[in-house]
Amino acid sequence: MLTATNIHFGFGNRTVLNGVSLTLAEGEFVCLAGPNGSGKTTLLRILLNHYRAPGQITWSGRPLDQWTTRQLSQLVAYLPQSPTFEPTQTVADIIKLGRSPHWSAFGLESPADTHIVTQVAAQLALTDDLDRPLLELSGGQRQRVFLARCLAQQPRAMLLDEPGTHLDIKHQVELIKLLQHLATDQKLAILMASHDLNLAAALSTRLILLHNGQVAAAGPPADVLKPQILRQVYEVDLELIPRPNRPQLVFPRIGFTPEEPNVHGA
Amino acid sequence: MTAWNFRKLVCSIALWIVLWAIVAAACMLVGSTTGALSRQQWLYRLEMVLIPSLIGAALAAAGVAYQAILRNPLADPYLLGASSGAALATYIWSLLLGTAGAVAVQIGQQAFAFTGAAAAIAIVLGLAQRRGRLDPVTLILVGVILNAVCGAVYLLIFSLNLSRDMTRQTGGPFRILIGGIQTDLTTAEEITAAIAIAVGWIVLLSIAGEMNVGMLSDAEAQSLGVRIHRLRWIAMIAASLLTAAAVAISGPIGFIGLICPHAARYVTGPDPRRLLPAATAIGASLLVIAEALSRLFSQPTLLGNHLPVGVLTGLLGGPFFLVLLFHQKRQS
Repeated sequence: MLTATNIHFGFGNRTVLNGVSLTLAEGEFVCLAGPNGSGKTTLLRILLNHYRAPGQITWSGRPLDQWTTRQLSQLVAYLPQSPTFEPTQTVADIIKLGRSPHWSAFGLESPADTHIVTQVAAQLALTDDLDRPLLELSGGQRQRVFLARCLAQQPRAMLLDEPGTHLDIKHQVELIKLLQHLATDQKLAILMASHDLNLAAALSTRLILLHNGQVAAAGPPADVLKPQILRQVYEVDLELIPRPNRPQLVFPRIGFTPEEPNVHGA
Repeated sequence: MTAWNFRKLVCSIALWIVLWAIVAAACMLVGSTTGALSRQQWLYRLEMVLIPSLIGAALAAAGVAYQAILRNPLADPYLLGASSGAALATYIWSLLLGTAGAVAVQIGQQAFAFTGAAAAIAIVLGLAQRRGRLDPVTLILVGVILNAVCGAVYLLIFSLNLSRDMTRQTGGPFRILIGGIQTDLTTAEEITAAIAIAVGWIVLLSIAGEMNVGMLSDAEAQSLGVRIHRLRWIAMIAASLLTAAAVAISGPIGFIGLICPHAARYVTGPDPRRLLPAATAIGASLLVIAEALSRLFSQPTLLGNHLPVGVLTGLLGGPFFLVLLFHQKRQS
């Protein structure tokens, strides 16, 4: 589905990506992790042709520069970290925007567009909320609406940028289940940038760890989430609690320890 | 939930035309003359309904485009300085070549007004931009400053040319400082303005779907298939064409492009596909009503003089702008 080779990019004199390569196959769930400023968002936007960068990128075997903006939007959906909306827009308004790559001239819609919007809303349990203003929804519900917008594009791949950032643990779990379902059942190729290593470990079939604009490690989560690799990338000691095939992480040095005084007092 | 298809688009446009026609017909009954009207007086009133409609429609449609593409609810051709840029350019053109005459002269005047509007927008966007970001209030502040500068430049040139008869050529100082409906436009002036407005409006309607997506962030718009920079250029050019065409025959009538899109949003929501026909009709109707009121005020028992319609829209639009500004501040 996606092959990116030797991507270089910088803003001014600052190098953001330095020879990054990755692949994404149909039905695969790949997590892109790394510290702040490691180039996760930039990489996603380069893959979508928002920024031009030296290197080779192909989608479905076709070089990126041979895709028109409209064609690419019918193949790949993108969910940014903070999606935007108008205060008066309803859930239906937002999901309908996902059909915009398929609208004809003058923004005219076909009956198929309405059918797909209805179908996607049902799939994400949003049917009863279609006429509600987005402002009335909780953070978790809103994120589902934006995911519905992506699905309405009928893409074969989705690039997600920190989709769990503003969500509590319950909604994060819901999101994880939904994304897993999309990858396995609908054979969607998903590339998700995430800060959350636990989420990455739980979800992904493959994990790519970025550090200083380079791939520090890539492979199954169990192979990437090693104490020495994580120490090198995050410059902090992390303790790994092993589970069958997948490691779970904790951060032992956060907060106060018995050896350290409680600075906040009693 | 139903699809926004061709039938709905045509029905929407037809419905808004009917609503405008009702308002326009009612306004034709209003004037400073009482009793039975002669055919000539009816024709005069018809002209005084059609010309404000054209101008109001153009300014309101331009407002829809500016607000959508700049993602700024305060954007308006007048507040962005496009109107005063176009008005100053029209005035300079009239000094050089006059306003009455061949169609080529009118096309030249329209082109000059368009250049003025486009230059004003380019200056405002250039000055208000900071590290690629446009602060809504800074944008308007720069536009207001540009308005003041254009007004001052106009008054300077006007003072230097007092010996010439400016009444026909400029419509007097009101024409550029406030704006009003001219009673002595030539057919060539009216037709060139109407064609320019029709072209600009159809272009905006054709990109209304993309403008709907363009209201999102650049990254989202691009990933939904919109070439955002190309869209901005097209929308800016079309909106400036509409502004220039209206201003060339009326002067900078303020706030129509601000009030009407907001009023229409209450009915249609923010989607420019539905908003554009509604705001256009409301703009046409509002200016027709304002012009009818100014005719009423011009009765001998009231003011006795024809009140420029820009005075009324300014009195209405100023407070409206302040309400919007405070509303936006509260939201942010």
